[in-house]
This record gives sequence, C-alpha cells and structure tokens, in this order.
Amino acid sequence: MIYRMKRKLTILLFLISNCVYLNAQQNLPTSVFSDRDVYVAGETMLVKAFTSTSGQSKVNYVDLLNLQGKRVSGAILEINNNQADGFLQLPDSLSTGTYVLRSYSKNTGDQLKAVKEVWIANRFVGLEKTKQIPRLAQINATEHENNDIKIENLPEKLGTNANNSLTVNLDQTFANSLDGDIAVSISLLDDQFRSGSTLWKSENSVLGNNSQQEGLVLSGTVVDKKNLQPAYGINVFFTIPDSIPGFQYYQTRSDGKFYFQLNNYSGTIQPFIQCFSSSPLQRLKITIDDSFISGEMRPATTMQPVTDSFKTSNSRNIDAITFQKIFEQRPFKIEQTTRGRTKEYPYYGNPNKTIDPHLFIDLPNFTEISRELLPGVKFRNYNNEPSLQVLNSAASGYFDDMPLTLIDGIPIRNLNLIKDMGTQDVKRIEICSIERFYGNLRFPGVVAIYTTKGDYSIFQDNDQFIHATVDAVQPKIKLTDWEQKDQNIPDLRQVLYWAPSLKPQDSIQVDFKTSSIVGKYCVSVWGRLKDGTLVCSKKQFEVK
Amino acid sequence: MNQTVIKLIFLLFACAIGSDLQAQTGPTRGWDSVKIKGTKQEVYNVYDGKPYFTDGWCIGKVEFTNGEALDSLYLKYSSYKDEIIYFNEQIKTQIRIDKATVSAFSFKDKDGVIHSFQKYPFDNWAKADRYFEILSTDSPNLMCYRKVNLNEVSPYRDSTGKLKNMAYEQEYLYYFYFPDKGFSPVKPNKSNLLSHFDKESQKAIKKLLRRNRIDILDEFSFVAAWQTIKKQGFKVLF
Repeated sequence: MIYRMKRKLTILLFLISNCVYLNAQQNLPTSVFSDRDVYVAGETMLVKAFTSTSGQSKVNYVDLLNLQGKRVSGAILEINNNQADGFLQLPDSLSTGTYVLRSYSKNTGDQLKAVKEVWIANRFVGLEKTKQIPRLAQINATEHENNDIKIENLPEKLGTNANNSLTVNLDQTFANSLDGDIAVSISLLDDQFRSGSTLWKSENSVLGNNSQQEGLVLSGTVVDKKNLQPAYGINVFFTIPDSIPGFQYYQTRSDGKFYFQLNNYSGTIQPFIQCFSSSPLQRLKITIDDSFISGEMRPATTMQPVTDSFKTSNSRNIDAITFQKIFEQRPFKIEQTTRGRTKEYPYYGNPNKTIDPHLFIDLPNFTEISRELLPGVKFRNYNNEPSLQVLNSAASGYFDDMPLTLIDGIPIRNLNLIKDMGTQDVKRIEICSIERFYGNLRFPGVVAIYTTKGDYSIFQDNDQFIHATVDAVQPKIKLTDWEQKDQNIPDLRQVLYWAPSLKPQDSIQVDFKTSSIVGKYCVSVWGRLKDGTLVCSKKQFEVK
Repeated sequence: MNQTVIKLIFLLFACAIGSDLQAQTGPTRGWDSVKIKGTKQEVYNVYDGKPYFTDGWCIGKVEFTNGEALDSLYLKYSSYKDEIIYFNEQIKTQIRIDKATVSAFSFKDKDGVIHSFQKYPFDNWAKADRYFEILSTDSPNLMCYRKVNLNEVSPYRDSTGKLKNMAYEQEYLYYFYFPDKGFSPVKPNKSNLLSHFDKESQKAIKKLLRRNRIDILDEFSFVAAWQTIKKQGFKVLF
C-alpha cells in the first residue's frame, strides 16, 4: 500500500518538476537595444526589443526610468515574431543623468526584464561643473559578439555628407539558425558612455494574471464606496465615441475587476468608462490599473569620472539638437499607418428612424422634440423627474423599461442631461424601436442623440464615470531618411541608418549618407538565434 | 511514514485547490469573445407545417464576418424568415442574430447530421443575403435554400379546434454555385440534373447512375448522384 502511494507520489512530483522545468525553459532571454547610448532631452529614442519567446503576450512594454525608479517615458509595442520595435519620445524637461531603458511583457511569472542604461543630457544644463556621473553597477551584456555576422565594404574613414553603402553578410547556416528578423543601425558613438542590454530580475511579481495573449488589455477595479470592498455583479461600460462608437462591457466578479480589450486601437485613446449597479442606492468607485508596472528598480550605481572629451561631446550633442529644434529638422519622419476600417454598424443596431431636429422648427427642450418630431418616443418631465420610453414596434406598446440612451455614443442613465436639449443642440437622433441585444445586454429600444457641439462637455467626471486617457499599442511607424533641402544648413543627424526588422539573407546591402557631424560611428547588427542566444556584430568607422 | 505520505498528498491537494482558486480570479472565461448583436425573436403564429428547419435547439457554431467564431451555441434556423436564432442561456432569451454580422453557421441535428450554412448575396430582384445549406463542396457547390413559405391553404382545424387557412409549406430551392458566375438553379430530379451537362456527357452520366444503381427520388439520392457524377469529372454547364 505504502509502496503504491510512494510510487504515485514520485510520479506526481516528477510531473510537477517537469512542468516547472518546461515553464522555465519557455522564457528565453529578452533584450532591448536603442539606436544610441547618449541622447539629449527632446529627442526621439528608437528602440528594438527581443521579447520573451513564451508567446504568451502580444504586447511589449518599453519605458524609461530615472535612477530613483520613476518612469519618465513609455511606449506599448506590438510583438511580432517575438520582436518589437518602436520609439520613445524623451521629454524636453528631463534632467541630465543616467536613465534605465526597460523592456518587459506582462507574462505570468516572467520576472526578468531587459534593461539598458542610457545617458540623457538636458539642453539647458551643461556638464561644466560635473566631475562624476552614475553608472549602473554589475552590467553583464546579454548579447554575444558573433563572427558569422560580417560587416563588409566599410572603409575606416568616410567623408561628411557623402553617400555610402556597406554589406552585412550572413553565413547561410547561421542565417537559418536566426529566430526572426535582424536589426541594423548606424549611429554616432560615444566611447565614454557605452552600454548593452542586460537582464534584470524583478523583485515585485508581475501585474495580475492577465497575460494579454490576444493583445493589450485595460483593467481596473470597481469598489463599493460604503465599505471599499470590491463590487460584485457591476456592469462596466467602455465607450470610445466615434461615428460608430466603440463599445465593450464587463460584469465584475467577486474581485471587482474589469477588463477591456484594446487590440483594435492604437496611439492614445480617450475612453469613457462608467459603471452601473442594479441597486440605485449603491455608490461605486472605478479605478483604472496603470498600464505600465511601477518603477520598482532602484539600481545600484557606481560613480564614473567625467572626461573632458565626454563634456565636449555632450555640449556638441546639445548644440546639434538645439539647432535641429530651431530649424525644425527631424532626423526621422514618423508616419502613422492607417488601419483599414471594416464595414460595421453601431453595437446598438441599425436605427429604424433617423431624425435631424435642426431641420425643423425651433423647439426649446427634449419634451417638445419628442412630442413633435420623434414618433414612438415618449419623453416626459413631470415634477422634474424625466422619463423616456420607446414604442416596441413588434408588440405595438411602449417598453416598460428605459431605453438605451446615448449622447454622442456614450450611454447615460441621468435623463436630466437631455431634458433641456433643444433643436439647436441636437444634430441627429437615431431610434431603434425594437428590443435589441448585444451579448448579454438587453436594450428595450434605443435613443441615440448626437449633439451639434459633440465635445462631451455635458459629461462631468465622477467616481462612477471616468474620461480616461489610455495608451494603446504604439502605431506602426515608417522611418524615412531625412532630406536635406538647403545645402547651407548642416545635416546634424546622429543616426545614419535604422532598420529594426530586416529579413536575414546571405547578403544585405545597407545604403546610408553620412551627416555633417564628425566623429566615431558604429554599425551594429543584432539578432537572436533559435536557441535564444542574443547575437550581435559591431564595427566602427570615423567620419572626418 | 504512512502519515508523512498522507500529509504530503494533502499538501499537494491544497496546492492544487489553491492554484484553482487563483485561476478563478482574473477575467471571466470568454470575456473577450465576440458579442452577438441581435433582436428578440418573435413567436411565429402556429399553423400546419414547420417554420424552423429543426424541431428543437441544436448545438452549433456561428462564424462572424469579422473572422471570429462562437462555438457551443444553441441554434435554430428559421426557414420561414431565413434567420439564425440562438438561445442566450445567461439571459434566457431567444435572439435573432443580425444577418449582417454572420458569415456562416453549422449545427448537428438530433440524428447527428451536421448542417453547414453559408451566407451568400443572392442576386434576385431583392438582392438580399441568403443562408444556403452546403450539400456538396468543390466547385461548383451544390447548395440548398431551405425556404418555407406561409401559404394560403384550404381551411382546416388545428389541434385546438381553431379554423385556419394558412400553413407553412416547404419550398426548398437547389442551386449549383459557381464562385465566378453565381447561382444556377437545379431541381432534384434526373432530367433537370442531366440538363446541366452537354449532350455527350448526359449519356455517360445516365449510364454511370444506372451502373451505380442511383435513382433520384429525394434529396439524399440527388446529392449522392451529384457526388458520383462529380467524381468522374463531368463539367456542369452554367
């Protein structure tokens, strides 16, 4: 008996250990690279990340932290083939110092984050009086120099403002062993501040257990204001007003959490998030989770003496960026690719009737509008208690319940918001005089009012109604070379070439033009092998 | 020793239950799946005949125009209105799914037969979308429009003794569907099926059907005949 139990226990333990092993095996190293190591506040940092190969998440977070662990910039990037690329806008107000570029996904158990230190100089603060600068302690680069990546046809010295080309040759077997694309960059090099990608083990556990397998997810919590406990069974609505409003809903469970998918959106979005309880007396409060994880790191640093050449290059960079700002030179043009719109209709259905009240005689309030212009819609305002009903065309009687009422696509329950609307305020009214369903939501008729102003000024934020600003996935960008229009204005580009996703081939030709800035430049090629090894190849040249 | 083993097993059980409980937090299952848009299904008047294709609810799958799909739904196809109706278990309501959102659906009937329907724009005078049951794939597809009409009939008394003069009557329409040319009507009988082939092929097809002992008497034998013909590579004329 005991023998059999022991055997079963051994098998069980073996299975558990196997699971743990497989789980650990799935998370191959992540890494993050940027176009340069040294920047000036106000610049754009180009970023490439090799993400965890577990394939659990479709989004990668890249953010910039100062040495106090405070996030100063961030972007959410879409993962394709375990890689992501994008850019970070460095705020103009950043103070001079060392910063940490961090890359991670919200995979469960993925506590490893790729980090890279960068130097950012404020345009208005020089390094004249600075004697030492902080550097991250214990930096062990995760990438390995690989001889199978050969950067060829590159002279050691090049002239300024000249067209050039080089070749990146990959061994055939090596090219086949690469996992996905390779990244190539040519940029100004500062010998005094060089850094590589390294892994950082997070002390905090990763947010929730939401692995974002289908894309970016917005989450939050609804609590009962009375006892500050998570509120159960609350309908949370997410609306993005548009000509066809975007809408999602979620009914909270015992943890009071709600989740909305943002994979159809890009850039910064401004959704209206509201919650409704079935009990009119229940007072609720919505909070939205931060998209990024907190700036948990307070890395150990060592002090490095500042050399005169670093001070000189720092002030040269500041001058170059100031000049670029004055002459509105943009080293890269970021073009947002538009997503194709699908043929759709509102979630509340195609309206039976559409009325344009402003085409009719002036009516002072919504009671008059409903009486004169909206057949089958009964709006009454007796004793300052407005009510709204829609005629059910299938049953030839009015619905007992209040219809779904929307102002500019945003659901409302407080009819006081519409009672004073006259024909001058209303652009269009859409009516569905039928019982509609959207998932598990039932709409006993629909009255959708689109206002002439359309500025949502009618809505006021409160604990149950939030007009949030949320970062969705960064739009796809197209980087185009800067065109020099006036020969008298110097070309002050510090990044001569940036291609974050190139298909590995035997021979890749890289065409680039040197700028007016003299100094040392570096050609960098990064990739990741199928076994997870991060590989790179670097070659320097000088522009004179 | 024995007690240690039992304690360990309890510990493992506790761990398993703990992880299960942890799994219960987080998003509800299927929270991010497509939300069905529709209207409440009205009750049809009771007459002789059947307005629905199946007698009861069948478990099936609906594919939507946005590429998403929902499985394990209780479905019922209304042949009378050419609409797919699903039963929403959460709110206990029969909902007519908006035709504009559906691209295809399929369900298994009580006999275990899978019926696959697909939506096609039908270029008749009304130019409306119709659901066609796919009877045989490969170009051209053999499809059936499972139409039921409410027709005026000789007066009769229903089971409650009420006098009525309307009845639901089947009027199934069969088509060959050519992706590049469109629909070509076909009737489930031998002569009409043969008329879709050139004269030389007709003789050979007759011989083929005779050899395979296929006599077209109903839909089942009609589909069997077409599949036998198709195997031999005879070309259908549009």
